[in-house]
Amino acid sequence: MARVFVGMSGGVDSSVAAALLKDQGHHVVGVYMKNWSQDLPGMRCPWAEDLADAKRVAVGLGIDFQVFDFEKEYREKVVQYMIDEYEAGRTPNPDIMCNQEVKFKLFLEAALEQGAEMIATGHYAKVEREELAQGARLMRAVDSEKDQTYFLYRVTAEALTKTLFPLGEYTKQQVREIAKEKGLFTAHKKESMGVCFVGEVGMREFLNQFVEAFPGDIIDKQTGKALGRHDGALFYTLGQRHGLDIGGGLPYYVVGKDMQANQVFVSTNLNDAAMWPNELSLGSVHWIHNPPQSHENLTVRLRHRGELLPVANLAMGSDTTMLSLDKPERAVASGQSAVIYRGDEVLGGGIVV
Amino acid sequence: MSDSEIIYLDHAAATPMDQRVMLAMQPFLSNDFYNPSSPYAPAVEIRRKLENARHRLAVCFGGKADEVVITAGATESIALAMTAAQGGHVVTSAIEHEAVLANARQYSHTIVPVGKCGIVSVSDIAAAITPKTTLVSIALANSELGTIQPLSDIARVVEKVRRERLERHDSTPIWLHTDASQGVGQLDISVARLGVDMLSLNAGKIYGPKQVGLLWRRGMICLQPVILGGGQEMGLRSGTENVAGVIGFATALELATAHRKSEVARLSMLRDQLEKSLMNHFPDMTVNGNAKKRLAGHLHVSFPGIDAERLVFMLESKGVLVATGSACAANKQTGSATLKAIGLEEDERNGSLRFSLGRLNDEENSKRAAQYIVAVVSQEYERVRHA
Repeated sequence: MARVFVGMSGGVDSSVAAALLKDQGHHVVGVYMKNWSQDLPGMRCPWAEDLADAKRVAVGLGIDFQVFDFEKEYREKVVQYMIDEYEAGRTPNPDIMCNQEVKFKLFLEAALEQGAEMIATGHYAKVEREELAQGARLMRAVDSEKDQTYFLYRVTAEALTKTLFPLGEYTKQQVREIAKEKGLFTAHKKESMGVCFVGEVGMREFLNQFVEAFPGDIIDKQTGKALGRHDGALFYTLGQRHGLDIGGGLPYYVVGKDMQANQVFVSTNLNDAAMWPNELSLGSVHWIHNPPQSHENLTVRLRHRGELLPVANLAMGSDTTMLSLDKPERAVASGQSAVIYRGDEVLGGGIVV
Repeated sequence: MSDSEIIYLDHAAATPMDQRVMLAMQPFLSNDFYNPSSPYAPAVEIRRKLENARHRLAVCFGGKADEVVITAGATESIALAMTAAQGGHVVTSAIEHEAVLANARQYSHTIVPVGKCGIVSVSDIAAAITPKTTLVSIALANSELGTIQPLSDIARVVEKVRRERLERHDSTPIWLHTDASQGVGQLDISVARLGVDMLSLNAGKIYGPKQVGLLWRRGMICLQPVILGGGQEMGLRSGTENVAGVIGFATALELATAHRKSEVARLSMLRDQLEKSLMNHFPDMTVNGNAKKRLAGHLHVSFPGIDAERLVFMLESKGVLVATGSACAANKQTGSATLKAIGLEEDERNGSLRFSLGRLNDEENSKRAAQYIVAVVSQEYERVRHA
């Protein structure tokens, strides 16, 4: 049995992951990754409570527990990336970056340095190691509703060979039941949503602390007329309907942005071509192993828990890869990731340019 | 883990409200709700009861009602008291509560170091006083270690400085403030015997309501209000009076005063038993602070080599609630400044537990707590050995 360092966030998933590893006979060390601790106006960061919960569970399991402090690195690699992307007018996914840079890099390195043989997290995903000369394969979790492989496609093959996902075979329902059965302190804890430290509703407030945003015009794409004012184009995302503050009549949707001119384009036309691309240009493409030889049997997911869409073609260039879809897909913002699967396996993906 | 099974050993953090206090407060939360500043007869009656409560409070420490300012807790009382420094120099100690230290930093100040026994040295205080010193602030008892400070000796030092200034016609005032929120209920808080010029108290530590406190200060002391507005509390603390809170506070302080001696005898016996049984099992355990000069209900120990936060969680699962001075989640991993200040090593700080006994403890449950603590500490020593 291996010496496994398991990332414990203070939530029910990673608590159960640690408990399962212990049951399997591993020598388990719980680790809380302290990535963010700053309170912001209107947003209290609950890191200390989460840390206490994680430690409570570790103590209850009788396992060692440590805190790894990645605040500086998280700020540089994840938060700064997120801010830069928003400022460039894109819609980044900080969770993907956090997995790539922190959990499956810094955490892995720090754990190995301290004598770990493997790391583990409470992600819903699977790693297959058998019949594979080239290393471990990343597979979708049994619980297709909870599957988190969308966030994991940028993890390297080397990291995967040293990773365990104890929850891959379980449904969320089962995980909750295990937590209750074992009397884990976190069994009834509410799910944390959105970006770990911001939450979905807090993104605008969060960005406001770090970027300078200027008001500009909201322009009707069909007529070219200014309909109202926005408080910073970077706060708007393709396909967004709410928060436009230009009431009356048919709903308007964001169909484009001009970051240079600080303009947001809207339309009442739900069929606007910009909203329904069937071809996506992908940059920063990452393949866990080799790039696929053909597009046959490939599917793509454009958002977490999004539908697996058939890939009509995949044309790899030197800088970008063109991904064609069978039929247009609504509102794919630049900065979002396109994750490519073959069956249950995650092959890799790229970031929409 | 149900409430009935809880053994609470953290009375220094908070206390449950006494039934009698709750009963005394109740009318003022509903029928007797009037604003004491209103002109009509029912409101005037409330004013009378409020002032009577202020008088009852003052009697408990031998002060005058007019010298009592009601606040929303000891932190606010301290902030108000510290304004007596008036741009002068403040002398305080390294083991004071952050409320004192944070305010002291607003002035020119000297923080007197404290030795391992957790008791402020009177001569060090005397040496730290400069011609500009206007305020000395030392807590009556340390909240973590429970150590009792030599307030009346410090008062004599301050009095001597005052006399010397008078003799050389130096009109610079010097005042002695004490935060007595930890000592009240277990120590004599007579301001005459302590020799202090200002005294901060709160109700939440003596089975009264939280967010109610008072500052007693000699009439001639000039303070700057921290909260401005309608001019209540002689202009020193604006805001509609918390009548129910003050009534509850008065009842709580009277009860604490009446039962002080018997409670001290009872708690020190329980504490000594707890200390003895832990000592018997763990010869490596150290008792922090000063064994003689400490509050009756306090026991502060270290189990070097053990992460005390783990003990807190293990005990919690048995229903035993205790505090730690280790760098734990509850203090956002900063650890106790007091334990650092008295020079405890890192493993002593991280292995430290504070037990503070009170009304919720009796012979039976403190004995049971001792058994749980012994079991849990043994288990953790065992785990560390095999890791």
